[in-house]
Amino acid sequence: MAVTTRYESRDVAVHAEGLRKRYRLGQHRSLQQTVKRLLPGPSAPPTFEALAGIDLVCHRGEAIGFVGINGSGKSTFLQILAGSVLPTSGQMRVRGRVLPLLAVGQGFHPELTGYENVTLFASALGFRRRMIAERMEAVAAFAELGRHMETPVKRFSTGMISRLSFSVGMMFPADIYIFDEVLAVVDAEFQGRCLEEIKRLHRSGRTVFFVSHNRAQMAEICERIIWLEHGAVRDHGPAPEVLDAYEREHGPTEHGPEGANRRVGPARLRRRPR
Amino acid sequence: MTNAGVQELSTLERPLEAPLEWPGERLVKPCKRRLRLRDLLREMPVVRVLASRDLKVKYKQSLLGPLWLFFQPLALLAGFLVAFQHFAGVKISGQPYAVFVLVGLSVWSYFQAALTIGTASLVTNMNLVRYTACPRLAFPMSSVLSSLPTYAVTATGALAATAATGHLSLRILLLPAVLVWLALLTGACIAILSTLTVRYRDVTSALPFLLQVGVFLAPVGYPLSQLSPTVRAIIDLNPVAGVIEAARWVMLSGYEPPAAPIIVSAGVTALLMAVSWRFFSLRETTMADDI
Repeated sequence: MAVTTRYESRDVAVHAEGLRKRYRLGQHRSLQQTVKRLLPGPSAPPTFEALAGIDLVCHRGEAIGFVGINGSGKSTFLQILAGSVLPTSGQMRVRGRVLPLLAVGQGFHPELTGYENVTLFASALGFRRRMIAERMEAVAAFAELGRHMETPVKRFSTGMISRLSFSVGMMFPADIYIFDEVLAVVDAEFQGRCLEEIKRLHRSGRTVFFVSHNRAQMAEICERIIWLEHGAVRDHGPAPEVLDAYEREHGPTEHGPEGANRRVGPARLRRRPR
Repeated sequence: MTNAGVQELSTLERPLEAPLEWPGERLVKPCKRRLRLRDLLREMPVVRVLASRDLKVKYKQSLLGPLWLFFQPLALLAGFLVAFQHFAGVKISGQPYAVFVLVGLSVWSYFQAALTIGTASLVTNMNLVRYTACPRLAFPMSSVLSSLPTYAVTATGALAATAATGHLSLRILLLPAVLVWLALLTGACIAILSTLTVRYRDVTSALPFLLQVGVFLAPVGYPLSQLSPTVRAIIDLNPVAGVIEAARWVMLSGYEPPAAPIIVSAGVTALLMAVSWRFFSLRETTMADDI
């Protein structure tokens, strides 16, 4: 089941050194807070280190999973890798085009149709119009949304939106793919196809970053697991060992073929108006 | 689409794609500024897609669709005719009052439309800002483009009215230059305001009424020459005033524009462009954190 480990590749895809990201806690500076800061007394707002110094080398062609409880820094790390957020200190070297799927339906506009949203999202990721036009049918086919692609996305179910954003991720070429808990709301059949497709990407030499709270999926996709805790690497190594260690501490994650997928039956496609 | 067709294209049967060529390294580290002027050109494809998205979204689920483009300037024109011409008794020498107002409106309604979408552009695209590396400057720039139809409609109206009443000047050939000036001024304002909105949503609350007042603080419905010197000095400082006067000079034959507002506007435009570029490029690196 697990993909054979292939550490043979010497090319480094992602190299993080002392990566830190600090956020201010609490609300944005309102007028009240600004005035308070001008007054004497303790003024520095409390901060929170989402990443507290991460050193990590990921090789080209590796499939890497992140585990960790909510707020342990998984998404922040991936946001920096995706290029939307800069670290507070430290650095990260990235080789290759990154295709991030960090949230379900990220950047979809509710009023636009499926086709229009694919164009919008793919353009935001830096793909050119011609390539988007060429791949449009493949995206629609993979999402199995054929008839619905002309409907505004606001009439889609959550699962359908998730299918569409996932298909964009799958059907465009990149060197490094990021999947951050994007498989949570789709049905079992589509999940299976996505997992197959991610494994194919991996087999063809792409680097894959995968986050899921589902152990079966993590074990199926990832060769190496990185366990983050309080923004630091707690443990990393071959998937089964780290997953076992993680589960010993935090209790079992969703398990096995029954629990793995929240079955919602066949693709539940919502009505089209009229 | 049949099920067989779906199977054919999806997962297993497709051949594996060869790995892409391995591109150069990208170094991600803390930095104050990273935006370069040459990035502007690279971003044009995204800007176009975002602009066409803005246009499509604006008239989705709307019965009259783009017809709305005509109503706003027409309503303003009617308002000005009543308030300024019939009530305040504003007199224009040289051309009919409606022609005079239409030219001013073409500039103002573009400015207003672009500022309205542009200021919110970063916030409405919050998900793209937070989760993708999509160039941030593309969002405000796209609103400069997507408001061009507003300009086209009013400018065509103004042009038709000018020509019909026989006041069209040959200087009309300079109109593209005025449009570029207007776009630069608007773009600079949008870059500053949209960046401020990322941190302070107050801008969203303030903008509508500022724009509402603004149309009376610009020489859209009245000529500058009829103002008292003190009021005139204030209105001259409005950067849009100079563009409006330049547009009239370009379109209307025999129109003698006052020099002061044009010089002031040109200076303010240059200043705003420099300031907005610096401000935007300093703030752009942390937008995903602040938004």
